[in-house]
Amino acid sequence: MKKVNIFAWFIFILGIFYFFLPLFATLEFSLRMKKGVYSFEAFRVAFEDPKFYQNFGYSFLWAVLTIIFSLLLVVPTAYWVHWKLQKIRPLVEFITLMPFVTPAVVLVFGLIRLYGKPPLNLTPTPIPLIAGYIILSFPYMYRSVDSGLRAIDIRTLTEAALSMGAGWGTIISQVIFPNIRVAILSGVFLTFAIVMGEFTFASLLSWPAFGPYMEEIGSMRAYTPQALSLVSFGLTWFSMMIMQSLGRGAKGEEQIAVAH
Amino acid sequence: MAFLEINNVSKTFGKTTAVKDFNLKVEKGELVSFLGPSGCGKTTTLRMVAGFEVPSSGEIIIDGKDVTYEPPNRRPVGMVFQSYALFPNMNVAANIGFGLKIAKRSREEINQRVNEMLELIHMPGYGNRYPHQLSGGQQQRVALARALAMHPEVLLLDEPLSALDAKIRVSLRGEIRSIQRELGITTVYVTHDQEEALSISDRVVVMNNAQIEQIGPPFEIYNFPQTEFVAQFVGTLNAVNAEVVDPKAKILKFEGQQLQTAFSLDKLHSGDKVMIAIRPERLSFASQEKKANILKGKVQNITFLGAVVRIQIGIDSLNFYMDTFNNPYLALPKIGEDVEITCSAEAVLALKERKESQG
Repeated sequence: MKKVNIFAWFIFILGIFYFFLPLFATLEFSLRMKKGVYSFEAFRVAFEDPKFYQNFGYSFLWAVLTIIFSLLLVVPTAYWVHWKLQKIRPLVEFITLMPFVTPAVVLVFGLIRLYGKPPLNLTPTPIPLIAGYIILSFPYMYRSVDSGLRAIDIRTLTEAALSMGAGWGTIISQVIFPNIRVAILSGVFLTFAIVMGEFTFASLLSWPAFGPYMEEIGSMRAYTPQALSLVSFGLTWFSMMIMQSLGRGAKGEEQIAVAH
Repeated sequence: MAFLEINNVSKTFGKTTAVKDFNLKVEKGELVSFLGPSGCGKTTTLRMVAGFEVPSSGEIIIDGKDVTYEPPNRRPVGMVFQSYALFPNMNVAANIGFGLKIAKRSREEINQRVNEMLELIHMPGYGNRYPHQLSGGQQQRVALARALAMHPEVLLLDEPLSALDAKIRVSLRGEIRSIQRELGITTVYVTHDQEEALSISDRVVVMNNAQIEQIGPPFEIYNFPQTEFVAQFVGTLNAVNAEVVDPKAKILKFEGQQLQTAFSLDKLHSGDKVMIAIRPERLSFASQEKKANILKGKVQNITFLGAVVRIQIGIDSLNFYMDTFNNPYLALPKIGEDVEITCSAEAVLALKERKESQG
């Protein structure tokens, strides 16, 4: 008979409590908007505010743009580092870890100082915001793609494709991308989650986003921000689940059916 | 004019010379093997033909066209890799049809060619499988079909059988050779396995320390090695340092024993140092009537190798190996017994003297 590992169960239950207890407390508090009874009043107020949808939509847009441009930058870079520039790998890894040591506020002020005045005044456009988000996502996106590339024999697959006449675009899109699809998806999930809840960049660059909206609501109301937190949490999870199921559906496998 | 020409090609990586003054002409339909130990430059040379490395000097010509600086995707070559390199996200048919799809051939043509290739490698019905569903041998056959699907002018194989087990290696090398003959495709085959090189090649290029040691048909490489390295690397060899006694009579001596060679020593003088090389299978126990080329020694060890029995004989401070075909009724000497062995003068090769840096 299989032995029950009490210690493992204890750790598991502790982890469950650590994760769900704050969520449960937030939920419990958000339901107390009406005195003496539990109700979804805070949620109703939150959903009736058109700014909620507007700001959530903006954050979603920023997240999608960040993911697209981040993939365009990180996948070819990581691929090239693996294929030809192994020597600079430590340098690239160091650069991608920069957001862990440089606070977001320092990054955003750097961007404003550099691109907030001529000759390259970009702050009226969302370019610095997306660029900042791309930097913030570096550690997650690069590491995910890097681990995916480590798992396959990049060099030989590339050479095999080259010897059959493939160009770089074909190699990246038809050989490399499908084979690191799972790694890319994990980078995409993490980037999405980070951008959806980001506050500093959006606030200081004055772009509408879900993070600053929650902060604004939080300074005016007591219960609605808790409801919004849970909604934001749920929506982020829901979006990630959709992306994950899409990823599972698209197997990344290419077939030529052969009659025999 | 040869179909594939590699003229004075050298390749250096920083201060390291990977290939030095490589010259080779391969005729159309010929299978040439590059044979040598790891790091001898054989794979680098192959990669230069494929276009994955650019020569530091020299030129590579395929069918009269200089392709030295052509990128790999514009060369008329197909390549098979040691690690198969099948695309894991594509099924067998998609792998084989990949190059044709890149070349924008019609779907009908791709399907027809894929089916032809599957027939060629004796794997019809495997088109819808994925690489992970195939054995190593099957994957390498698909890799071969993929490389051949595009009708390349030159087929390059980089140690294609190294990752397979011994039995499959033997059967697959026969299959590769028969497909190569059937299609008449000019082929360069890299291997460090001498048996593989000798068994499938029209010619073998033996390489060592970035240079060619000898080029020749397998028979010539094995029986008439021109350098000590070739003699040592290809097959088992009894090699001893010796001295020329009489160049005209072709007499050599070592450790107080004398041997006569059938090969000319005209360019040498008495007292010159040479290396004697004798293949183990060319030695036999001396009969009573035999008087010339007798070596006296003591049996040190007897090893049963299946088809062959290898007898180690100590001659003074040297060890000689003698191979004899296995026979259940063979009367073998006992360990420690004094024996006389002999060989014909044709079996005694006199090569340049052994250098310390070699072998």
